[in-house]
Parts: sequence; structure tokens; C-alpha cells
Amino acid sequence: MNSILEMLSPSYLLFPALLGTLIMGLVCPMIGSYLVLRRMVFLGLTLPEIAAAGVAFTFWLQQTGVVPQLGQSERGIVMVGSLLFTFLGMGLLGYLEQRGKGLAEGRLAAAYALAGAGTILFMVFNPAGQIEVLNLLKGEVIALSRGELRLLAVVFGLVFLAIMVFRREFLLTSFDRDLAFLLKGRQVIWDVSLYLLAGLIIAFGVIMAGPLLIFGFLVLPALAAKPLAQSMSSYLIVSALFGLAMAFFGFYSSVRLDLPLGPTDVTLGCVLIFLAYALRQISPKRLVLLILPCFLFAFFACSAQPPGPPLPDAKSIHADQLWLAKVKNSTALPLLLPATNPLRSLAEMAGKISSDYRQSVMDLLRENLRVELEQRGFKVSLPEQADARFPAFSSADATAARVAREGNLAGAIFVSEIWRWEGETQKYVRALVDFKLVRVNDGAVLWERRVQRAIPTPSATNLGQASADAARELVRDLFAG
Amino acid sequence: MRKMAAMNIDSGAARREDRNNALNPLVSLQNASLGYDLAPVLKNVGFDIYPGNLVGLAGPNGSGKTTLFRTILGFMPLLSGTLLRGCPLANFGYVPQSAVLDAQFPLSVGDIVEMGAYGRVNCLRLFPAQEKKKAFAVLERVGMAHVKKKSFFALSGGQKQRVLIARALMVDPKIMVLDEPLSGVDEESRCSISELFIHLTKKSGLAVFFSSHDLEMVQRVADKIIRIDQGKMWVEEQGARPS
Repeated sequence: MNSILEMLSPSYLLFPALLGTLIMGLVCPMIGSYLVLRRMVFLGLTLPEIAAAGVAFTFWLQQTGVVPQLGQSERGIVMVGSLLFTFLGMGLLGYLEQRGKGLAEGRLAAAYALAGAGTILFMVFNPAGQIEVLNLLKGEVIALSRGELRLLAVVFGLVFLAIMVFRREFLLTSFDRDLAFLLKGRQVIWDVSLYLLAGLIIAFGVIMAGPLLIFGFLVLPALAAKPLAQSMSSYLIVSALFGLAMAFFGFYSSVRLDLPLGPTDVTLGCVLIFLAYALRQISPKRLVLLILPCFLFAFFACSAQPPGPPLPDAKSIHADQLWLAKVKNSTALPLLLPATNPLRSLAEMAGKISSDYRQSVMDLLRENLRVELEQRGFKVSLPEQADARFPAFSSADATAARVAREGNLAGAIFVSEIWRWEGETQKYVRALVDFKLVRVNDGAVLWERRVQRAIPTPSATNLGQASADAARELVRDLFAG
Repeated sequence: MRKMAAMNIDSGAARREDRNNALNPLVSLQNASLGYDLAPVLKNVGFDIYPGNLVGLAGPNGSGKTTLFRTILGFMPLLSGTLLRGCPLANFGYVPQSAVLDAQFPLSVGDIVEMGAYGRVNCLRLFPAQEKKKAFAVLERVGMAHVKKKSFFALSGGQKQRVLIARALMVDPKIMVLDEPLSGVDEESRCSISELFIHLTKKSGLAVFFSSHDLEMVQRVADKIIRIDQGKMWVEEQGARPS
């Protein structure tokens, strides 16, 4: 899965997330360029903190009953709070800058500290909402829905348009305030507008993608473009191109290698900065000649993902019997699915019954594996049917074979080990699972595969269903190769 | 003040306006006190600048030259007295000291000069071709057209000054106000910039008002010298310069 061409298809499940990241990667650096040139990079840190205070404040208002609880529309309400706080903060900072007293860095630092303190205090006032606040601030662009993408496109599109239309005014006010005053009179409106545009994309971006990614998009492409640009227009264009490259290749690496998007993009952005400073000695023509093959190489290297070896068929491995071991859970989490019977849930909460009756992710995975293996002609048996004491097998082949031999099993054993299984929302599950087919006699590995990826579960309505869908999808993928 | 420069709609009125402009001062300061936060730096300042004047402002560092310029340009308020401007602020071609401009900005010479036209270009329009031609023409006028695409901050001090003069010319000025245009530039650039001032005043009828802490140099260039020192101001007229 996940060649670049596949990702670019609108039918790709994570296409809204990819498109959203690209939109942010295009627009944020254009605002960030002005922040970098005005030496106000710290604003990129302060604004998300102010937005976070707005989020925490809104949750607190909801808890006190001033703002109604709206269930699915919660994100919209929180967005309003985030926007309000950001705009108020921006207005105040713009006004103080216009007065021109004190250090700009000092004002931003004070605002950052105040917003941080406010966020914590509002969470303390509302302990029940802490998890929601933290989840929203963490932001996961991968969970972006099509509706949210539309909203993002409209807001960021308007910001992009404003930057293009008023680019001369923003440049003049940023570079030479005296000339701006002579030519156009007092310029408060342009300072405030720039702050408001920055506030708008940050308030929306923080909730949809998290503060780290937004800060990275704002600042890193603009810093990387600086050594390569000799004019303002080329600076804005190169910043936006770097932002797009950072967004696209960061997203690709994140999905392909199952890495968190924010840190991946930020790392890529820092690499771009080093590259840009290294490349500035090269003439523009040579630079194009150098970058083009690199880009093509990256494109094709990313496109070509060799499929793993297929599972050998039952006859070729001469195993009359295939033992399907219990799936080992190495995540340190119980991975139990939510109960569907409310009475049993109540009994469990009251301590009357244990949670053992609940199905786990390991059960789901094993059941799906059994069905698939049997469809491929294997005669599947379960080790605990031979001896109830058999534990879940580790994916270490020698250990698995030794334990099987000690339990007098013969033939081959299929072992699975879950290292990671996270379904923070019902929209996707991040999984890292090892699968091995081991010959019991000598511990030889007949087949193995590691699956590490985010599995979209768009039709799931709760975390249990998301896990069930993900387990089915994962096993189907495993044998499809 | 901006109304003072309202455009006339017929050519007869335009001719009358031209005659009036020649008679009316572009800058007139009377009994003015200038300074910051109600603390005067200069007291009892009074002088007029007319079209075609080449006026030098001489005084030691810290004597208030920049304060005087900033007050005339409206960046700071007058503490007391009268200040009249004979044209809108948009017709003041201001040349700051190049050192005050932030080298962080990746700006080409063309970018800098085109800024002079930003006051009359509608934000919804692309930068007009005629303004691009004009930018090239003013760069040619100061002898800097060949570096149009170069980075502004990679130029020498003298070249930067000439580019900033080109930017000031781009605004269609009636008066040029230049803050220390000849400091930090080599002798050759000083000569060429001085010649440019004389050309602008005598041939184009602009008023040029520039400052320097080098009295000798001001005496060489200016028709009229305004001297300031220790909070006081006096005017010295020079002999007529052959045009």
C-alpha cells in the first residue's frame, strides 16, 4: 500500500488528511515568512498557546453550564473559543506594537506565559474536561474528516487570497514603516491584519493538526527559503514550495513508517534548512539540475514499495498441521474491547465479575488469522487444545519453537505479537504487529512479516468497532501480498 | 494639508498652480519647538524651503538633525509653533540612512525601488508595466539600472544610497528629504550624489533637503545651510551656484 500515486488518488482513505496537510503546508509558510522577517518567530509559539487557553476556557464554560454541551458539534464550539482568544490576543499585541514601547520579545514572552498559565488554570477548574482538552490540543490531522477539510480549505484559502492581494502593504509596513506612513498614512490596519491572519490559521490549525505541526509549517520553510531567495517574491514562492515538500514527504513518511506526523514534518523542515544553507553556494541553474534528479529519485523511491513474500502454501512447507498460537500482547495495555451488555458492564464496574469475559484485540486478530489460514488450505489447530497450559507465544522464533517442542507440538507454528495498538479516535488505528511462521523441529522461520501502519476505519462508530475493522483489514492486507 | 495639493482639472488652473507652487514654500517652520515627550531638542526653529532649493542641514551628531526631519515628515508631533507643508506627505521623497533598513529582508534593488510606487498602485492590481518602466528609468537616472536584480543588501554604501534616492524619486516627489546621504560612502559616490542633488534642483525643480555632520561638505554642495547646535538654529545663505 501507499505508493505516492495511490496517496494522490481522491479515493485514498487518508486523502482528506493529505490534502489538509498540503493546504497548511502551502499557506502557513507565507504568513510565517513575514513573522520571520519581522523577527517575530516567537509569535508562532505564543499564538498556539493563546488558542489553547481559549480551548480550555470554552471547556470550562461548558462544565459550568454557560455554554451548552453539543456532542458532535463540540469541535465547532471549541473552535469559536480558540478563535476568540486568538483574536483578542492578536488585537492586544498589535495595539501594543503600534505604541512601540518595550521589547517585542518581552511582550510575546509575557503573553506566552500568561496563556500557558491560563490553560492550566482553566483545566484545573474543570478536571472532568482535561482529557478532552489534551486530545484537542494534541491534534491529529490524520483524523481530518471531509467536512473539516472543507472548512480548512475555505479559511486557509481566504488567508492565502489576503496575503496575495495585500502582499505589497504587508511588505511595506514590515520593511519600512516610515515610507509606509508617508505613502499610505497610519498603518495600524496592516499590522492588525497580519496578526489576525496569523491568528486565524493558528487557531484553526492547532485544533486540526496540533501546535507542533503548525509552528513547524509557519517557521521552518521560511527559514529554509531565506538563503536561497534574492527578492521578496522568490522568497514567498520558495517558502511555499518548501512548505508543500515538507507537508507531502512528511505525510508520506509518517504513513509509510507509522511515525507521528508533527515530529516527522518538523525533522524534515530542519533538514531542509541545512540543505538550503549548503546549496546556496550553487548557482540557480546548477541547483535546478541538482534538485530535479533528487526529486525524481525521491518520487520513484517512495513509489516503489516491494511487496513482502507471500505466505507459502500448506504443501510447500510439508507441515501437516499448523498451530495458531495465541496472539501475544506486548503493549502494556489490556486491549480489551468495550462491553456490549450494559448489565455485565455494571457488574464489572461493581467488581462482581472480572473483565475476562470481554473480547480482546488479540482474540479478534487470531480469529481473523484462523479464517484466512483455513481458506488457504492449512489445517489449523490451537495449541491450548493440545495442552491448556500453553501461553501466548513470543515472536522470537527460537523461543517459540522451543516452547512448542516442550509441549510436544510438531509441524509449524504461527506466532503473532502486538507491539502497538492505538485507536485514539474511531477513525483509525495505529498498529505494529509481528507475524511469523516457524518450523517447530529446528526453529527455522518459514515466513515473516511486520505490519506497521495507521489503518483507517472510517465506518466505525466506536473504538471497539474500529479495532474489529482494523484487525480484519490488517489480516486481509497481510495475506494479500 | 493633503487638501493643499488637490489636483486641478484644467490646464489654466494647472499653470496657476505651478506659479503658486513656485511662490509657496514646500516646508515652512515658524517658531517651532521639536523634541520627544514634551522635552524640546530644538527651540525657536524657523525656515522655509522653496521648489528648486538645495538646502543642507549641518550639525554635530546628536544635535537634532533627525528629529527635525522626522517632525517635518510627520513621524512625530510638533511641540509648539507652526509647520506648513506645501504638498501632501506622499510627495515627500524620504531617503533614510541605509543602516536603519533591516538586512533580514531578501529584497532586490528592483523590489526596493518599486516600493516608491506602492502609494498609487491599487492592491487588487498586479504591479503595472508602466510603473516597472518608471522604476527602470529612475534607476538609470541614478546610474544603478545594471544592478536591478541584485540583492539590495549586497551593495556598497554608496550604491545603496543611490538606490534609495531612486526609490524616493519613484514617489514623484516635490521635495527630497535625505538623512545623512553622504556618510559612509566613498569620495567618488559623494561626488556623484552631490552632482545628482544639483541636477535635481536646477533641472527638475525639486527641492532637496539633506543633512550631514560634515559642515565642509555641506558648504560645498548646498545653496542654503541650516545649522543647528546645542538646541539652537541659524541659517546661512551661500552664493548662487551656476546652473
